[in-house]
Formats: sequence, structure tokens, C-alpha cells
Amino acid sequence: MSGQPQRALRMSYVVASVAGVAFFVMSVALLGWWPKRVLDEQSRAMGPEYVLPLSESARRGRVVYSREGCAYCHTQQVRYLHTDMARFGAPTLAWETRLDYPHLWGTRRIGPDLTRAAFTRSTDWHFAHLFSPRAVVPASVMPAYAALFDGAPDRPRQEARDLVAYLETLGRARELAAPEGEARAREACNCTDDEMAMMAFDGALNAHPGRARRTHEAPALPRSADLDRGRQLYGEHCATCHGATGQGDGPGARGLRPAPASLAEHEYSTDRLADVLWNGVWGTAMPAWRDRRPEDLAAIAEAVRALTRAEPNPPVPDHMVELGARVFRENCVQCHGDEGLGNGPAAAELAMSPSNFHRQRPSLDRAIRVLRNGIDGTPMAPWTARLSDAELIAVAHHVRGYYEGASAAPGGVRR
Amino acid sequence: MHAHGIAALVTLLVSATFGIIVALQLLWPELGRDTAWLSWGRLRYAHTQGIMLGWLGNAFLAFLYHGVPILTGRPVTSRALGAWIFGLWNFAVMVPGWLLVLAGISQPLEWAEFPLVVDVFVVLALLLAAVQFVPCFFARGLESLYVSSWYILGGLVFTLLSYPMGNIVPEVVAGASGAAFSGLWIHDAVGLFVTPMALAIIYFVIPAASRRPIYSHFLSMLGFWLLFFLYPLNGTHHYVFSVIPMAAQIGAITASALLGVDVLIVVTNLFLSMRGSGFVPRDLGLRFVGMSTFFYLVVSVQGASQAQMAVNQAVHFTDWVVGHSHLAMLGFASFAAAGGLVHAWQRIAWARYNARAITWAFWLMTAGMVIMFVDLTIAGLVQGRLWADGAPWIESVQATRPYWMIRALTGIPLAGAFIALLVGLTTGPRGAGLREVEASIGTEPVDEIAPRLAPAAAVEAS
Repeated sequence: MSGQPQRALRMSYVVASVAGVAFFVMSVALLGWWPKRVLDEQSRAMGPEYVLPLSESARRGRVVYSREGCAYCHTQQVRYLHTDMARFGAPTLAWETRLDYPHLWGTRRIGPDLTRAAFTRSTDWHFAHLFSPRAVVPASVMPAYAALFDGAPDRPRQEARDLVAYLETLGRARELAAPEGEARAREACNCTDDEMAMMAFDGALNAHPGRARRTHEAPALPRSADLDRGRQLYGEHCATCHGATGQGDGPGARGLRPAPASLAEHEYSTDRLADVLWNGVWGTAMPAWRDRRPEDLAAIAEAVRALTRAEPNPPVPDHMVELGARVFRENCVQCHGDEGLGNGPAAAELAMSPSNFHRQRPSLDRAIRVLRNGIDGTPMAPWTARLSDAELIAVAHHVRGYYEGASAAPGGVRR
Repeated sequence: MHAHGIAALVTLLVSATFGIIVALQLLWPELGRDTAWLSWGRLRYAHTQGIMLGWLGNAFLAFLYHGVPILTGRPVTSRALGAWIFGLWNFAVMVPGWLLVLAGISQPLEWAEFPLVVDVFVVLALLLAAVQFVPCFFARGLESLYVSSWYILGGLVFTLLSYPMGNIVPEVVAGASGAAFSGLWIHDAVGLFVTPMALAIIYFVIPAASRRPIYSHFLSMLGFWLLFFLYPLNGTHHYVFSVIPMAAQIGAITASALLGVDVLIVVTNLFLSMRGSGFVPRDLGLRFVGMSTFFYLVVSVQGASQAQMAVNQAVHFTDWVVGHSHLAMLGFASFAAAGGLVHAWQRIAWARYNARAITWAFWLMTAGMVIMFVDLTIAGLVQGRLWADGAPWIESVQATRPYWMIRALTGIPLAGAFIALLVGLTTGPRGAGLREVEASIGTEPVDEIAPRLAPAAAVEAS
């Protein structure tokens, strides 16, 4: 053989080798560098001028999140897909990630996406859940991070506080920027109609089905409910905090402030239960259950009502009725309202809504206990310093008198 | 070389143990509750880094010491350098990498979990490996290079380029932009490190063990160049439907489809080269690489299709992808690496060799792999369906439990296979492998193997 084909072969290899390197360079340029430029530009145009940086604590929490591999089960990337958006909210925009060194997008989603975790769970819920996930969510497969605590969920060490501080920043910037931020992003997007539709600026920013809402309509629950199914669902999802018998003493209860409602000691109207299940209880660890079907919520409501311990309701002596009314008028109306609807002038200023006694009735025992001790973790204070025993008992009778029964119409303004 | 082989098998066992523990933790999450270093996330980091760098890295290096001198007719650069590479790879990368990750010092980047300080030693070791092996190839000139040599050169050079990109860039480029680079690395780790090395082994072992030249040198080179052109352009398909510019996503998706076509070329060539060796080749090294080729075909066709938007939408983020990556790393790459080790062991006069144990390893590994893949693929479809239906999130976790149970059970055949492989290569009479080869196909001097491991043009020219 002559040298001619040899040289051609050698030449072709040189060309191919150069091309090979060129393709690699091209990959970095087209799929790394160019997207970075586009994203930087988009980020600048669509994001707020100033993105709140992480606090020192949240920054340390991010390190904990990284080192424990949280991102390997919880993505931080809502995709431009209806299935993602319906569950988690608006898709992740570039500017939302511009302080993420390195990104925590993740590639597997065993637990839910956490892009918009801020404002979806209470701090004490996070602690209880991190300390012992199955004490709160029985079917969870999340590892327990008890090592971040001093032996109990209400004794978080600094690292646990840091981690929760970080979780509470997720999605916060976008939420704080809205709706002006959304308007700015929409304007700066400069995108085609298709892309605009894809970016779904019109959908809910945060679609988390467990996020509590302070005031919101709740759908009427179906009338008939399957008590057995309700008991099963209660056992699977509610008993962890509220306890198997509804005494508020489940394994997840420790560390929650306020403590989970003692369901056995209350009567609830149907619309109150519908409201709590659909909207959660703002300011507490009680999440909403909007990902459940109304039939299931109705069944749970039925099971909750079945937990209430029957109590005799002896008639209240007249002088007690008057005393109770007077004490209530002088001490309670600021928050609970003139008519006990939980809509007093101070109610709106409180971190959580005062009880509306028309829609739930505590047992006499429970009412007196609350008046004596207050409710830890709520604005309800102990009244023993201000009121005598007789006055406490009288006002306990008084608030019980407002209850309108299980099927009370959703009357009264709930604030 | 032998040392790398043993280190490979030991790290394989350790990494598999990590894998089995994390699989069990998904079933019994209280496992290891009070021990921070035993928590799921940290073990998960240690598992994949151990498999990629510890097991496959060591096995590939071991094979290079066998393959490169035969391919090039030159000894490797230096024995002392070899000791350094071995020491660095295992005692400056693997051991400290694992310890740091388990102690909580790591980076949360897929296939890049070892911290930056360890990355420095990875790059250093890769550089030294390049010094050790690359010069041999240039000694005789490029025109006589066989396809395995090209893959080895390509793998060594491009890993050196892509490793820092994947491990360092996302630390300094934030968020979505950093993710774009991460996506490139996730694919390059498999495509520019694992795949070339595994294919180098397959292309080497088939002609060496079957005593027939490969079907087509032209197709082998076509496959090689297309692979190196297309593989790097795939990365963004890990982030379909993300904020990364749609043009980049579509480009990567297109490249993924083309890559699938390329793999069809490669695999066709490989299977045609194996004609006459039987469906289950008698030679154990050949048997492993044959199965590896089959898994390569399946994983690549799967990869090309799951990059497409319609499929991606249904399976992304689910266990389907976990099944896919096991098929790539355990099915394709590990079978190739095991085949390479067995093949080399058969040709070392003093190496212990236990054919029974290796046969067991093959069948156990095949069974474990197939069951795990089918199981996780179905699990992924179930999860995707539940997500799309808007079912409460926890239902997708509860529904997966039986599949996770089966996946954990595949740990039994797989761990058995890895132990059997270790037993097969460390027990049995010395030189048994060599005698077995002599009995079946007869030994041949290196200068008779070598011509088959050179492109046709070079053979004709010589």
C-alpha cells in the first residue's frame, strides 16, 4: 500500500479529533454559556431589583439541607407543566434561583417539591416533622433528623432552627414580589403568547393544597358520609396529632404550639369542620386538606363528630346566666365579638382567629380549663388573675350557650 | 493492575452496601435514625460516587493496564506512576471522599457529591492517568489505532475536561444557569467517562476472546465519532420543561434522538462481531460484555425516548429514571467492567480464578438487574400516573412501597453476585483462568491478538 491512503486517514483523524473537541466546546457554549446569558438577562429583567438575601441562619440551614441530601428527594423546580403547576404553583423563574450556589433542582421527587415551601407549614410543624416524620405523616418515608434536636421536637438545636429558617425562605421572594412582581415579570418577559401561556402567570403562585388560608369560602360537604371510611382516614391522617380518641394527644402533638385541638371535648358544626378541613387553621400547625375529595372530607368530619364525648347539659341558674353575660361583655368581646362570632374589633390584629362559639362548643370542663390556663401558643391568656372562680364558670356557661347545633347555617362573619 | 482490580471489587461491595441500605430505608425509614452518617441522603451520595469512581474507576484503570500495552505494543509510562495513581485514586479520592460525605461535607450535585477538595485529587489522578496511558498511543501513530484505543483516548481526555465543569462551575454559577452546566455533567459523566471506557472494553474483549475480528472497523469508527459529537450535546435533557431556554432543551432532545440512532450502529456492529459465539458465550469475559452490549442497547433506546417531551412529562422525577440509571451503571457499565476484569484475569498466569463463582456472579447479576429494572420502570409509571391524576402526594409514596420492596430484594442476588465476583477473582487455583482459555480457544501470543485489535487499513499496511 502506498502512503497516500495513510495520509488521508491521518488527515481525517486530525479533522475528526478537532471536530470532537469542537463539539464538546460547542456543547458548553450552546447548552451552558448561552443559556446562562439568556437566563441572566431574563433574571435581570423579570426579577425584582433587590432580592432579599438569605439570613445568616437560613444560609447555614441551606448547608444542612445540602449535606443531608434533601434535594435528592425534594426537587426545587416547578416545571412548565400543568401537573406541576396545579400541585405546587407557578413554574420556577430564573430570577428566583439567582442566589442559589449551587442550585438544588434535584432529579427525583420522592417527597413533594419544595420550591414554594414558604408559608405552607408552621414552624412548629416543621420541627415536629423533622424530629419524627412519621409522628406527623404516618406513611412518610422521610428520614428522621432527631440528631438536630436535643431529644424532643420542642427542643430544636441551632441546626434545626437554621434548616427551618431556610425552608421558610423557599419561594418567599416571589411571593413578596407579587402581584406587582408578577406584573413586572410579565411585562419584561417579552415572550411569545405561547411562552406566556406556558409561564402561567395567571395560575396560583402557590398551589400547595395544605396551605392554610385565613378567610376563604369552603365548599359545602356532601350530606351523606361514610363513617367507616372517615374513621379509616382519620386514623391515617389525623390521629397522629389529634390522637386516636381525639384528645389532642397523638405522637405528633408534642412540640406543637398551640396543641392540636382536643376534638373529643368539642362539638363542631358541619360548616366549621368543612372550613377547617378545606382551609386549615391559620396560625396553627393544622394544614388544609384540599387535595382530598369532598366525600372524603365529609367522611372525616363525620368521624370527628363521632369522637365528641356526650355530656349532660344541665340548665344554668339565672344568676349565672346574667353573670356570664356581663363577664363576657366586659372581657371577651374585644376578640370574640359581641355575639361570640369571633369577630371582635381586635380579632383581625391577632395571629389567629378567635373562636366563633356559634360553630363550635367546648365541653364545660374544657372551657373552664382554657379560662384558667389560657391556650399556649395563642393569644388566649389565662384569666385567673382577673376573674373569680364563679365568674370563670359563669362565662364558660355563657360561651357554650352560643352554639347553634351541628347543622348551623354558615352565618356570621368569620374573621 | 491487580491492585486496581481488587480495589474495584471492594469498593463495589461497599457501594452496593450503601445502595442496599438506602433501598431498605425507603421501606423502614427509622433504620439508622440516631446515626447522622447513616442517614439516607449521605449514604445516597456515597453510593453513586462509590459506584462511579470507586468501582468503575478502579475497574477501568485495571483494564487499561491489561489493554493498553496490547493495543499499542508499548508498556505503560511508569510502574512507579501506577502506584501513585492507585494511591491517589483510592486513598486521596475514595476513602476521604466517602468519609467527608458521610461526615456531612459534600456538594449537593448529582454525580458530583464529593467535595471540592476531593475533586482536586480526582483531576490530578486523571491527569496522571493520561500521562500513564496516552503517550503509548502516540508511539505508533494515530492511523493504526483500533477503536478501543480511540475510546480510551477520548475517555481520558474528555473526562479531564468535563469533570471540572460539572463539579466546580455550578458552585460559582447560580441557580438555573448552574443547573444548565450540571445537566451537561450528569450526561458527560456517563457519556464521556463511563461509556467510552465500557465500550473500549467491549470492543477489546469481543475480538480477543472470540478470535475473530470485529464485523466492521468503519462502523466502529463511525459510532465512535458520532458518540463523541453527540454525547456532550445531550445534557439539557435532564431539565426538560424548565426555565432553561427552550431552544437549548429542544437541541438536547434532538441530539438525544440522534444518539439513539448512533447506539444502534454501535450495537449492531458489536452483535455482528459476536456472531458464532452463541447466545450465552462460553467464555465468561465474553459473556459479561455480551450482556453489557444488550443492556447498552436497551438503556440507550430508553434514554433517547425518555428525553422526548411526551415521555419525559410522564416519567421525569419518578423511579423510572432510577431504573434507567441502574440499567446504565449496573447493566451496561458494570457488566462491561466485570467482563474486562474477568478477561484480564484469564490472561494472568498467577491470578486466582474460580470459574464456578464467576458463572454464579453472571447469572445473579443478570437476574438482579432485570428484576430491578422492570420493577422500577413500573413503579415510575405508577407514580407518574398518580401525580398526573392529582392524587394526594402521599398516595404516590404508599403505592410505591411494594415496588421498593422488590427493589430491595434484588439487593440479595446483586450482593450475591458481587461477592461471587470477588470470590471468583480471589480464590481458586492460580492460573486456572489461563488454563481454561487454553483448553477452549488455545492461548495465542500477544502479537497474534494485536492485529485483530487494529483497524483494517493498518493491518493491510503492515
